[in-house]
Amino acid sequence: MKHMELMVGNKAVAYGAKLARVQVISAYPITPQTTIVQYLAEFVAEGELKARFIEVESELSAMVAVQGASFAGARVFTATSGPGLLLMHHPMMEGSDLPVVMSVVHRSNKSMQPDHSDLMAQRDNGWIQLYCENNQEALDTALMSYKIAEDSRQTVPTIFGIDGYILSYTAEPVEIPDQEKVDEWLPPLKAPWAPDINISVQEWRRRQGRMSGSQKAWIDHDTKFRNSLGIIKEAHASFEKTFGRGYGNGLLEEYNCENAEAVIIAMGTIASTARSVVDDLQKEGKRVGLVKLKCYRPFPAEEIRNLAKKYHAIGVIDRNVSLGSNGNVFNESRSAVYDMVERPKILGFHTGMAGSEVTPQIISKIAEKTLKSIKEPVDPIVEWVGGA
Amino acid sequence: MSSGWEVHKMSKPMPFQRVEGEEIMALGNSSCQGCGHAILARIAFKVLGKNTVYTSVPGCIWIALQSSIPLYWRGTVFEGGGALISGISNGLEATGKEMNVVGFYGDGGTADIGLQALSAAAERNENVIMICADNEAYMNTGGQRSGLTPIYASTTTTPVASESRGKKSNKKNVPFIMAAHNIPYVATASIAYPNDLVGKLQYAKQLKGFKYLHVQSTCPTGWGFDSARTIKVARLMVESGMWPLYEVTEGNNFKLTYKPRELKPVKEALSQQSRFRHLDEKEYEYIQEQVIMKWKQLSEMDGKKLPI
Repeated sequence: MKHMELMVGNKAVAYGAKLARVQVISAYPITPQTTIVQYLAEFVAEGELKARFIEVESELSAMVAVQGASFAGARVFTATSGPGLLLMHHPMMEGSDLPVVMSVVHRSNKSMQPDHSDLMAQRDNGWIQLYCENNQEALDTALMSYKIAEDSRQTVPTIFGIDGYILSYTAEPVEIPDQEKVDEWLPPLKAPWAPDINISVQEWRRRQGRMSGSQKAWIDHDTKFRNSLGIIKEAHASFEKTFGRGYGNGLLEEYNCENAEAVIIAMGTIASTARSVVDDLQKEGKRVGLVKLKCYRPFPAEEIRNLAKKYHAIGVIDRNVSLGSNGNVFNESRSAVYDMVERPKILGFHTGMAGSEVTPQIISKIAEKTLKSIKEPVDPIVEWVGGA
Repeated sequence: MSSGWEVHKMSKPMPFQRVEGEEIMALGNSSCQGCGHAILARIAFKVLGKNTVYTSVPGCIWIALQSSIPLYWRGTVFEGGGALISGISNGLEATGKEMNVVGFYGDGGTADIGLQALSAAAERNENVIMICADNEAYMNTGGQRSGLTPIYASTTTTPVASESRGKKSNKKNVPFIMAAHNIPYVATASIAYPNDLVGKLQYAKQLKGFKYLHVQSTCPTGWGFDSARTIKVARLMVESGMWPLYEVTEGNNFKLTYKPRELKPVKEALSQQSRFRHLDEKEYEYIQEQVIMKWKQLSEMDGKKLPI
């Protein structure tokens, strides 16, 4: 039966993989991801999870090994953080046709503390990127990730991220769904691309989804990847219906926006703090709401345009920076609304980098500036906040 | 089961057509004329058979042969070969399939950029067959030196000129590196000795765990000889002791599988190849001394257990 348990984020992730009945796991230890793999190794050692564990010598090999197992037809899982994710870049890009699911425990490239610079550096790989706000969402997103990645219409590798330390090593109550219910909702993987001596090599070759060799391969890949937005929404709706918990529409969630003139966009744990901030501001009569962005890749541009139709100003909080440019979500949000006749003000804020604390005061300041921009010009448009 | 050597000894010398099994390779491929890899692929897959998944990393085999080998196949990044065969082997076992899983990589993908993942896969004793098709340089990119290029060889990154005598260092001894992993089977082979190669492949095929075959595969384009002389040059490399044939069974039993009464001079093998055409007597002498010393060591070890 489903039950509640107090657990850290890394355990919630491990539970997600266990409930999905992964068959092959491969991972390499790195702080703050390490305990995910330890929990899974314990599940396997104690016979609670029937999976094969490939103890590799690097993250690069972890990625290639799970791709190999996925190619062979197994449901697979891996996890990493910051520098480990950077090492995976090459095979991630190369093998982005297989339904590999990976959890990333965000780790900055300038400290062991979290920011989203690790995962944002993989934004052009053709991997779905989902960001989580709390430990329950981590477990739920693990399950949704398999539903999304293994969709029978198209397979797309999927990453879900949790903020290092803030979630990885912090305990929260988490509801663990009933295994039988998960089994019914997430049946075993069907892999028509897997080698099979019962089908001819010619037929098998025809079934390969891999695209390479020409510009058309890029076009087809991009088209397929964009289709994922609909599949993510469907998988989320189905999850919500089955398990009674949801996260907006699966791509983003509007929170306390009914009377809002302006919204702030936040991802991961910052969204959690921002909920109480907008609650407090609204009590003071300040009409600002929160948009939690859950899916960053593919970028939900249509959803952003819908926000732009409703609100006069959008303050984008980026826990990342594209050095020499701006925050990635800021840039892409602005690009998404550029062709609209009436565009809202869009402001950018970098904060929480290298794990610097994002206090309610910081978010409040961001929200107030965003509101102010409706009535008067503000300067600068993009700024760094906090982190002293 | 007897070792690959015993299988080979028991069988009479045979033309290749009589190797048991169905021809896998399609007629025609886009390799260079006289390519040793094409010969190796034809022999290897005929022995391994249809119930085989094989894998590539970038190199001549992927580019020139992959489309002519109608088997279940997957390629990966240059540095990932050892991890890919590990993943496929585990994935097949997890889904209840029994198939030969084969890594078929060049010397770069095996011994340079691929060595880390390969070593780890061997250390885990994954149930796979790893074949290194060693043509002694990065031939697919135009013949740059690799860690398996022999000393003094002229390559496009070790060109011979007033300040350079070709490659400065000796060839890395990868079969011994692999043997040091204490895996069930390590063997060297040559495309000029198909009986020996077939025996070793047959032995590897029925064995569980990590099997490593290092096959010297001559390259007319990169080594600089007439494409009609592929086998001749490969044979001279073995007969001169430049490429000794041996196997290591059950982790440490060392056995030479080809023992000529007397080694041919290395000059006879090397002078056939334009990559060595600049060698002076001193350099020939150095290589000859190395070969004699190593052959002596190998002969002393023959039939004995390696300290692994």
